[in-house]
Amino acid sequence: MLAPATVLIALFMLVPIVLAGYLSFTDWDGLTPNPKLVGWANYTHLFADADVRQAAVVTLVITVIGTLACNVAGLGLAMLLNRPSRLNHLLRAVVFYPYVVGPIIIGFLWSAILGADGAIASVLTAGHHSPWPFLSDPAWAVGSITAVVVWSQFGVNVVLYLAGLQTIPASLLEAARVDGANRWQTFRAVTWPVLAPSVTVNLVLVLVGLLRVYEIVLALTNGGPAGRTNTFAFLILSSSFKANKLGYGAAQAMTLMVVIGALALGLTALRQRADRAVSA
Amino acid sequence: MTNTQPRVRSRPEPGRRGMTTVKWVVLVPVLLVMLVPAYLLVVNSFKSQQDITLHPFGVPLHGLSLRYLRTALSSPDFSLVRAYLVTAAFAVGVNVLSILVSGPAAYVIARGTRVGYRVLLGIFLVGLFIPSQVLVIPVIYVLKFLGLMGTVPGFLLFETTLTLPTSMFLYVSYVRTLPRELDEAARMDGAGPGTTFWRIIFPLMRPVVITAIILNTIGVWTDFVNPQIILGPGSSLYTVTTSVYAAIGQYSTNYTVVYPNLLIAVVPVLVFFIIMQRNIVSGLTTGATKG
Repeated sequence: MLAPATVLIALFMLVPIVLAGYLSFTDWDGLTPNPKLVGWANYTHLFADADVRQAAVVTLVITVIGTLACNVAGLGLAMLLNRPSRLNHLLRAVVFYPYVVGPIIIGFLWSAILGADGAIASVLTAGHHSPWPFLSDPAWAVGSITAVVVWSQFGVNVVLYLAGLQTIPASLLEAARVDGANRWQTFRAVTWPVLAPSVTVNLVLVLVGLLRVYEIVLALTNGGPAGRTNTFAFLILSSSFKANKLGYGAAQAMTLMVVIGALALGLTALRQRADRAVSA
Repeated sequence: MTNTQPRVRSRPEPGRRGMTTVKWVVLVPVLLVMLVPAYLLVVNSFKSQQDITLHPFGVPLHGLSLRYLRTALSSPDFSLVRAYLVTAAFAVGVNVLSILVSGPAAYVIARGTRVGYRVLLGIFLVGLFIPSQVLVIPVIYVLKFLGLMGTVPGFLLFETTLTLPTSMFLYVSYVRTLPRELDEAARMDGAGPGTTFWRIIFPLMRPVVITAIILNTIGVWTDFVNPQIILGPGSSLYTVTTSVYAAIGQYSTNYTVVYPNLLIAVVPVLVFFIIMQRNIVSGLTTGATKG
């Protein structure tokens, strides 16, 4: 009964990971069946590659700002929408719906809003302002991508934090109120410590999610202007893949996987003390 | 608190009112930012290019027309209706395969006591952190080796594998909450493990199976990278996401193409979302909080 699942995971996850490791030491072009071994060439190239460094910086900015923003907005709105009422259920759906629409469609929709002839540009031009370079200036474009990513993802964090808030015993909140704690004191002394495991889950999920941002970049900027908004995932799929440099792409993919693994494990370990304090 | 004031009703009242003000000061801008794109999407799907670029937020009562939506629906290159059917078929296929494969495996792992089972579960769960972008390049290699690259079975098998980490996680934790006496009673009656699972355990897993189906369906419906790369433009099999990309990619400033195509792509998902909203939200919660 175990066999089919084990075969699938072996064939399409374990073998590919090992294979990616192998291919990252080759010059595979995606066509020839017998790629040539090139040693560490892909990796030395990768660390010297200005495009890779550029993509790493962009990915880092999106990930750090996006993770913070998603979690602050997620927790803040969860606290505002915590009371179960018809209206709050509706409002939760409103912040959550981008998740079911999916990133590629969201990317195209926002590019119609932020683009050079897009909705906001039309309004600004009509008011005789010069349009803002949302997608045409590199720094603005990274900001726009981050904002759209947060827009489309923080609803998930709202839902997860709402679930976390349900785990806070009403008796604790009541006790804090009886002791005369104000809202902020209650939050610091009760809500925040009890919420620790939720915070860990949310941080790790968003972090892992944002390190692989691809579709929104594809639809919003296509990596432009001049490759300045390439994320790491975008570089793997659009540059290396399109250029048939799959060996090099495999080296990039391995690097991304190691970074994601290290960050997810590191963050979980860092949060362990806070998590343990709750169960104690 | 003093005993002369048995009820402290008077204190929370002004506080709550203050909270309500804060709540709306925060919420109104957030709701606007969330809903304005949806508003633009709907309104501009009925407008001419000139009306869209001059007054993107306006509703010109005389200029509204259905013809842009009709054009998008009847485009000879990329039939969105066909893409719906293809995507829906893929979603059904992946869900069926996923249940057939991960249900029994999860049962065996949940009931198993040896260390090997925990290791195996660990391997499945590692998949939660592996981005499919990392996998897709070597998966192409594997699929080519199996002769399944560019084929529907190849795509379905890989897409099913991507559902296994979440499904195994959900199913194993759920089966562990079901009493072992059920298994023993079935064994007494002469049922093998397969029969026990499908006849006794699986019907009890209904809630968690629904959760997995919802998450997998959203996963397949919104997936762009895998159909684009594995099925490729050569197969002429477009999902909703890949056909929107094909339709819009080259006309991204012709808004009479962009908005109607996006609207048509979004409507069925939003209907699904509105009907299933509570299930989706609770499914997502159980899917992530027990990690």
